[in-house]
Amino acid sequence: MKKYAYNEITLMQYIFLINGTQVGTGVLSLPRILAEKAGSDGWIAIIIGWLSSVAASIFLVKTGAKYPEDTLYEILIRFFGKILGKALISVYIVYFAFYAWTILVNACLYIKAWFLPKTPDYIILLLFSIPTFFVARNGLRVLGRYSELSFYMVIWIPLFFLIPLKDGNWLHFLPLLKEGWRPVLSAVPTTVFSFLGFEVAFFLYPFLQKKQHAVLGITIANTLTMLFYLFVTVVCFAYFSPDGIIEFNQPVLNLLKLIEFRFLERFDMVLLAVYLIVVSTAWIPCVFFAAFCSSQLLGKQDHSNYVIILLLIIIGVVFWLDPTWIDSEGWQKKVVKGGLLLAFVAPPFLWVYSWIYEKFRRRVSH
Amino acid sequence: MKRKTLLCLSLVAMMMTGCADQMYIEDVTLSLILGLDLDEDGNLLVFMSSPVFNKEAKVKEEKVEVKAVSIRDSRELFDTTVMALTSGSKTQLLLVGKKLLKQKNWIDYIDPFYRDPKNTVTTRVVAVDGPVSDVIFFRPKDKPRLPLYLANLVDTAYRRNVTIKTTLQEFHEQTTEKGITASITELKKDHKIMLTGTALLDEQSKYKLSITPNENKLLRILQHKTKGDFPFTISVPLDSNGHDHWISFSTPRIKVKTRVRYDNHFIFDTDVKMRVAITERLFPFNVRSDAAKLQKSMEKKMQTDFERLIKKTQTKGIDPYGFGIYARAYKYPEWIKVQNQWGKAFAKADVNVKVHVTISGMGTIK
Repeated sequence: MKKYAYNEITLMQYIFLINGTQVGTGVLSLPRILAEKAGSDGWIAIIIGWLSSVAASIFLVKTGAKYPEDTLYEILIRFFGKILGKALISVYIVYFAFYAWTILVNACLYIKAWFLPKTPDYIILLLFSIPTFFVARNGLRVLGRYSELSFYMVIWIPLFFLIPLKDGNWLHFLPLLKEGWRPVLSAVPTTVFSFLGFEVAFFLYPFLQKKQHAVLGITIANTLTMLFYLFVTVVCFAYFSPDGIIEFNQPVLNLLKLIEFRFLERFDMVLLAVYLIVVSTAWIPCVFFAAFCSSQLLGKQDHSNYVIILLLIIIGVVFWLDPTWIDSEGWQKKVVKGGLLLAFVAPPFLWVYSWIYEKFRRRVSH
Repeated sequence: MKRKTLLCLSLVAMMMTGCADQMYIEDVTLSLILGLDLDEDGNLLVFMSSPVFNKEAKVKEEKVEVKAVSIRDSRELFDTTVMALTSGSKTQLLLVGKKLLKQKNWIDYIDPFYRDPKNTVTTRVVAVDGPVSDVIFFRPKDKPRLPLYLANLVDTAYRRNVTIKTTLQEFHEQTTEKGITASITELKKDHKIMLTGTALLDEQSKYKLSITPNENKLLRILQHKTKGDFPFTISVPLDSNGHDHWISFSTPRIKVKTRVRYDNHFIFDTDVKMRVAITERLFPFNVRSDAAKLQKSMEKKMQTDFERLIKKTQTKGIDPYGFGIYARAYKYPEWIKVQNQWGKAFAKADVNVKVHVTISGMGTIK
């Protein structure tokens, strides 16, 4: 019998859930970070980062496929026993909660700097929390629908990047590999981290209807993310000179600032407001999974209370800390460190472990 | 029921943020023109022109001059005299006096335009030959208010390539990019305001040279920016007796190609292919039979014009054309050695311009 029969998600929902979790506010500053590290060759690092995230994703799905009815929670308990398994899943809970926290704080800082300079942080977060609660208190199916709908709603955004592109200069990219491979490789860690978010697939696998397409789905999700990052980075590199781009904290927003119509100026503001939908598809799954794992850990059926608790904690901490841009960057670095372990190291490790575990178990049972 | 109350709450919350942050248009003084200049003692003067939204005011434009240490500081001083709160979010033009342009590090003053996300960066940067106060306090009777007039003047002149139009964002590109030096619109006020061409700045963004509207067209062609109209009126050297043979033509299509070689110094070969349509001819000539001869003499004349302009800029050690970008793209190892003194290296470079003219039409009479 299927445990999650009422919450099955389609392949599309699976793809957009993963893609949505990957794409957050990071892309706004990504071109600058790449240019700082690898100059105009930085875009190559995105492709390398994509390859490694696809590799980690495949390990992740393959591990999940061995236990098609289990989420990571059950897998960890099966592998490591109750105590260690629960301890490990707590690590994931903290990770997702912290991930959600950094995205929410970052989004709040953007909104504050661009539109609502005088509104207190906690009010902005309160406003974020209301839709978050409505989506995250439901099951995974609603979450999947939200991600899919959001994707269709914002699919026009890349079109606007073509407007500044006509003033771009492709000579900025030449010569390829100016300084050789070393700077490109030094930028790879950054791009690898910008693909973080696919680890939610650990929990999605048992809910997926057509499990045979899981590998395909996660690859498509990663590829969509890669294409978006690559496109935005290439447009930024073509428009801004390699020397000029590193001076802007968020070159993407500076690029959009240039778009003007007769009836509309400051397009960056319009786009940032709409982009909030994209960012919300990153934090909502994190909030959901933090709450979902907590409810599993404590053996409760309904996770909606945990969503409320988590959101209240986040609002409370924001009220108390009043985070700054520098704080936010520091937290992002911490998330990235955790993500390296939980998303890139854990899947191959679990896959190898499951392989040994199965062999060992078979030998015992014989 | 629960859902309805939550919806109402969220609606109220959204409305409330609007209440706290509202701003009436009457309470904003939009600085549509910002002027920067130096007085006799070398103090920074900041000028502003802004529209007045009031029925009782006879003149619908406020013009203020203050002595300040920076743009941001000037805002506080403006607020002490103008009707409402000064805002830089809609600035159309930034006028910079030539006296200031000749100073070192004057671009440090425009930092707030890039730093504050509320400010716009599509502001046109304009050099003023003479004191900025003459321009700002000028009230022509046959023109709309000054910001509208000047903005329109620059935009339309730019379409015919009488002058260049550099927005603050483009200006940032040009000043940070090592392979190009900045060029901005130049205007002068005698008894009326006149665009005198383009002001060329050096690598430190100090004023170096002014070029005429005719030379500006050549500059645009060498920049590979061949959009807009390029009407020329030149005197062709048809025979050796030194008579002026005036001919005017429009250029529906211009194609420019630049190649780079390196032989102890940079060598740039630029091919300019023009299809021209004759619009005016002040001498008798049989175009149908002697087209080749006319083309040749036009090519000769254009070529000497190009060469003269390039020599002029080379002696000043500036590269407003962006040949450095080509040097970087195609001769990177050699470029990297001279990138920080590109002006000097460009002064030593050979630039060979080859013009190819094809007469595509002679008009409706012979």
